[in-house]
Amino acid sequence: MTKYIIKRLFRGLITLITFQSILFGLIQILPYDFTAFLVLSPLEQRLAQSTLGLDHPGWQQYLIWLNNFFHLDLGKSFLAWPTPVHEIIFATAPRTLLLFLSAAILAYFLGISLGKIIAWNRGGWLEFSLTLGGVASYTSFAPFLGFVILNVFGRYLHWFPYRRLVDHTIWFDAPVSVSWVLSWVVITALFSVIIMWGIFLITRGFGNTLIKWGSRLAGLSLIGSGIWIWWNKIGHGKLALDILYHLALPLSTVVLMSFGETMLLMRTTMLETLTEEYVLMAKAKGLPPRVIRDKHVARNAFLPVLTRLLLNLPFVLTGSLAIEIIFNWRAMGTVVFQAIEYQDIPLIMGILSLVGALTLLGHIFLDILYLFLDPRLRYAERK
Amino acid sequence: MTPNPKNEVSSSSWSLFLNLNKARLTQLNKNWMRFRAHPTGMIGLGLIFFFLLMLVIHPVLMNTIWRPSIYDPYIGFDQVLKMHPTLPSLKHPLGTDGMGHDILSQLMYGARMSFSVGITSAITAVLISTLVGGVAGFSGGIADVILMGISDVFILLPALIVLLLLGTLVRLSWWSISIIFGILMGLGSQSIVVKAQTLAMKSKVYIEAARIAGGSDFHIFFNHILPGLIPLAIVHAVMTVVGAVLTESLLSFFSRTHDYMTWGSMIWVGHRTFRWFNYGGQWSSLIPPAMSIMLFCSAFYLVGRSSDKIFNPRLREKEIVN
Repeated sequence: MTKYIIKRLFRGLITLITFQSILFGLIQILPYDFTAFLVLSPLEQRLAQSTLGLDHPGWQQYLIWLNNFFHLDLGKSFLAWPTPVHEIIFATAPRTLLLFLSAAILAYFLGISLGKIIAWNRGGWLEFSLTLGGVASYTSFAPFLGFVILNVFGRYLHWFPYRRLVDHTIWFDAPVSVSWVLSWVVITALFSVIIMWGIFLITRGFGNTLIKWGSRLAGLSLIGSGIWIWWNKIGHGKLALDILYHLALPLSTVVLMSFGETMLLMRTTMLETLTEEYVLMAKAKGLPPRVIRDKHVARNAFLPVLTRLLLNLPFVLTGSLAIEIIFNWRAMGTVVFQAIEYQDIPLIMGILSLVGALTLLGHIFLDILYLFLDPRLRYAERK
Repeated sequence: MTPNPKNEVSSSSWSLFLNLNKARLTQLNKNWMRFRAHPTGMIGLGLIFFFLLMLVIHPVLMNTIWRPSIYDPYIGFDQVLKMHPTLPSLKHPLGTDGMGHDILSQLMYGARMSFSVGITSAITAVLISTLVGGVAGFSGGIADVILMGISDVFILLPALIVLLLLGTLVRLSWWSISIIFGILMGLGSQSIVVKAQTLAMKSKVYIEAARIAGGSDFHIFFNHILPGLIPLAIVHAVMTVVGAVLTESLLSFFSRTHDYMTWGSMIWVGHRTFRWFNYGGQWSSLIPPAMSIMLFCSAFYLVGRSSDKIFNPRLREKEIVN
């Protein structure tokens, strides 16, 4: 087992290095570099190149970069010159996480619950319309969908603000910066999600439906009021609410765009599981259909969907460029876009390597997890 | 007169060929009957035919009743109308956009581009994934390690970002986008799925039988493994079309391509000059291309799902406990 894990990690390392060299090679093929975008005399250009480290040949630049990468130094961005890349990543990460991570999680919950329902009620109009709706949402053109939602709910109905991260009248003389509040909103959201999950796990064993849902509701309201009191105590509750208010439109667009895929995948895996014999057994035992659906079918069908979630999660970091541009939500996708425009090598390489490394870690984690879970694989490995 | 033995052999092999063909046709017919049972798949097929019709009619209309100076998708301009964009009218069934082009004509012309992108990328992806996955799964050993190492790398490359990077290097046109997208999809996730399928097929009894009968590796790969990979290839091809068309539309929406008349660039033009109320609203120039992209991709997606249901034995309609 240990031997397999070491072998897998080594292979992952080789994959990561190949991935980085392909990316670096793609950037290096270009006949010009970042200094071409500056108005400089030839002498100044050479000076700028030597300052940025662009005067070495391509392979040498790559080796220097790789060496720095393995010393956990991502270099300095060319566009915002003395700023290190990791600072840019840390500065934009809260925005990306707040929008795209929460959207991904919401979309997965929505997709899984809807997929469960349509796989169970097969052949009805509900399944037909939800399938068509899911396909339409999955294939809809992201900029257009964002544009429609922005125009209808923002510009026409005036329900939600649009094209801004915050309202400047509220933030007029706020004592803290937007990124500070943003990161604390992200932390609060993660914290509350974990606690809610815990509550649901604890109350699962309660027999009485009324007591179960009553205690769940009580717990949720307790946490909600706790968070509200805490935010008001530090005095930034209004600011956090303003951010959430501005989040509404982009969040709903991303959720609408991405729930269809999960729903259809969940439906497919549910249908595959429904043909298993233990489902027939459960039916023969006389279990109520709801219990069969939730405990026997959905839980087994959930694994491939969870795998997909884990593998897609790192790509959340680059986000959806179209959504960011339409809603003017300056996050990591826009940063990458701009970096590509201006040949900002350290920034492109830094962000994409981060995403690549996280994805690879996800793959390796899943491989090892499957090895633990599936005895057949374990046996084949030993042989 | 005794029959010529040589002649008899050839006639029997001919009849064998005929029978085989008949069996294949029956299988095809059976699959078609199964496909027809899925209403969503039939909707998708109908939509694909609708877009094909649009593609075919456009040159006919341009050569007969549409005057090129007014209806040409690139340079057409209606000088009779005072203001552009206009709402739908008898002369312009879907109105005109802010630059005075007829939208229906542009839409039909754009269908050509979407079909080309989709089909080119699907063929590229399927050829690559079938060959790479098939060879890796069938031969194993060092080839497997190298090929799967490559696909491990390619699965990490996000297609949109690679295309944006390459867009700064070369002038992207529809064929370069579709070939690059096809390579990324084919070498990435698809070849891993094909490899798993090949491994499953390799342990089947009929492969062993073919080996015992003296079939060479080459023969077994081309006559027994590849035909079994065709259903998976169809599903992958159809799914690649969806991704390729969406990616191409996004790239032309960000005006990173060198094709000026696609559905994505139509949306870009409409959205740059969008007014909510002035000049009678401009939804008529935005909704048709956006709906076309959605319907085109949905059509291929629905066909892909339905064919997946036919070819994947675990998904075939069975009596389901409910």
